[in-house]
Amino acid sequence: MRKVEYPPPLQELIRQLHRMPGIGPRSAERIALWMIQAPNSRPGEISDAISRCTKTVLSCRDCGFFAEGELCTICNDPSRDRSVLCVVEQPTDILPLERTGAFRGIYHALGGKLSPLNHVGPEDLRFDSLLQRIKQAAPQELILALGADVEGEATASYLSQLLAGMPLRITRLAQGLPAGLSLESADDLTISRAFTGRTEVGRS
Amino acid sequence: MLRNLSIRDFRCFTRFDLDFDPGITCIVGGNALGKTSLLEAVVILTRLQSPRTNSLAPVIRTGAKGLVVDGMVDNRHMQFDYSPKRRKLALDSVEQKDAHEYLQVARAVFFANTDIDLVRGTGEERRRFLDFLGSQFFRDYRNILRSYDKALRSRNAYLKMTPARPREVAAYTKPLIDLGQQLTELRGSLVRRLEPKAIAAFNLIGERDEQFGLEYHCGSSADFQAALAASAEEEARLRTTLVGPHRDDLLLQLSGQPAAIYASEGQQRTMAIALKVSHARLLESEFGRSPLLLLDDVFGELDIGRRNRLFATLPAGGQRIITTTSLAWLHDVPAGRLYGIKDDGARGRVLDVISPR
Repeated sequence: MRKVEYPPPLQELIRQLHRMPGIGPRSAERIALWMIQAPNSRPGEISDAISRCTKTVLSCRDCGFFAEGELCTICNDPSRDRSVLCVVEQPTDILPLERTGAFRGIYHALGGKLSPLNHVGPEDLRFDSLLQRIKQAAPQELILALGADVEGEATASYLSQLLAGMPLRITRLAQGLPAGLSLESADDLTISRAFTGRTEVGRS
Repeated sequence: MLRNLSIRDFRCFTRFDLDFDPGITCIVGGNALGKTSLLEAVVILTRLQSPRTNSLAPVIRTGAKGLVVDGMVDNRHMQFDYSPKRRKLALDSVEQKDAHEYLQVARAVFFANTDIDLVRGTGEERRRFLDFLGSQFFRDYRNILRSYDKALRSRNAYLKMTPARPREVAAYTKPLIDLGQQLTELRGSLVRRLEPKAIAAFNLIGERDEQFGLEYHCGSSADFQAALAASAEEEARLRTTLVGPHRDDLLLQLSGQPAAIYASEGQQRTMAIALKVSHARLLESEFGRSPLLLLDDVFGELDIGRRNRLFATLPAGGQRIITTTSLAWLHDVPAGRLYGIKDDGARGRVLDVISPR
């Protein structure tokens, strides 16, 4: 007896969904069935949204953030402070920084970090466009908002070599105690970094 | 206290379960039946690493995708699923994002009949010993060690590239130095705490007329940064990082002479055991309870006097799981639970409960 399977177009849909991150074979099957069976699934709208996105959402020419058009809303915003440039690893790192509202400058996403073990070298990262932007816009301060892991540290160290001698101040985000956490529950490394990065609260 | 162990697709075992006595559990059987693997499984369950290999991939049963170790320690349920693609930790059935809390549940010391390699073997054996202890003693040791290793491998990857990549190498030099200094500090402090306990154990088990000494030997000069700079030329030639904690060693001496050369085989065995006993003692004094004491076929090499003195120097009240090929010495050891292990053909390895009946 022949083994019964879904019709080939449905199998193809399941295969395509299964390629997506975080979607296993079971989830792919469930989503596919929902798309073709559920009365409110509107698969045409999903398909339109996908093709619209892939056509119109691009990387911002300057900072690498998501943009509709050549520049993103941040780089297009005349009220942003162009004297401070904040360097992040990924374009997605910009959103959490933006949500705080603490930063009014502009960004530059490198697109990753220096990681020879994953075959990511300086030529794969947006260092050249960063140098160009610094030369053109001449910001006064560059803030390195990179991860505190080994590769983030190495990338920060690479950048500071690259920018040595340029007339700008290079800073990095402070590492220290998480907000709302007691000393008791912090690990030794965090506490020792918090000591190194301590700030003055007043003088008597 | 470890109550039970369940393993799946672990070394030669498709599936295996056993319960432990709060005091002494003994597993008796011939060679190549998987006794050592059972103790290894206890180490992997509690410490997420093997005392025998650096990678867990070879521990997975041939033909299986991944292994599972599962067990109750006190009233906590520990579970570790490992496959090359995926690792999952669960504590009381709650998946853990990191290993911090998981690794606080239980500590262990593994006594192996190959421990003499600690004295005779290369520095790698002794670093492995220090790292296994350090990861149980200091909360941050494991993270610092792993980060150092990553910085080292990254830096070496750049050193090997043609044409040379001096800027990239320099970028990894800073984290390498930062992490290396932290690691050196932790290892030095560990050896200072270990030394008096190792000497005391050596004197109790062995003869008192010889002096056991151990000293931390740093794999760079005291100033890691200067040592790296001084080795730059040779480093560029050999294309690998030549100084640093990855070259650390623990110098073992017998009355001032290198133990690997001058000590007799019996003295070397006593030294190795003394190191393991001090490992157990240090964890006991720091955390207020004995670690799990796993003894893998170590009695065969010891005379009765040393065997009894070893037992006397181990932390009292520590749970002991012992494997052996021979029952000859068992009347000395009040095992609460005694198992025989054998190969039963199609059923695979099976356990006989010898006592309690």
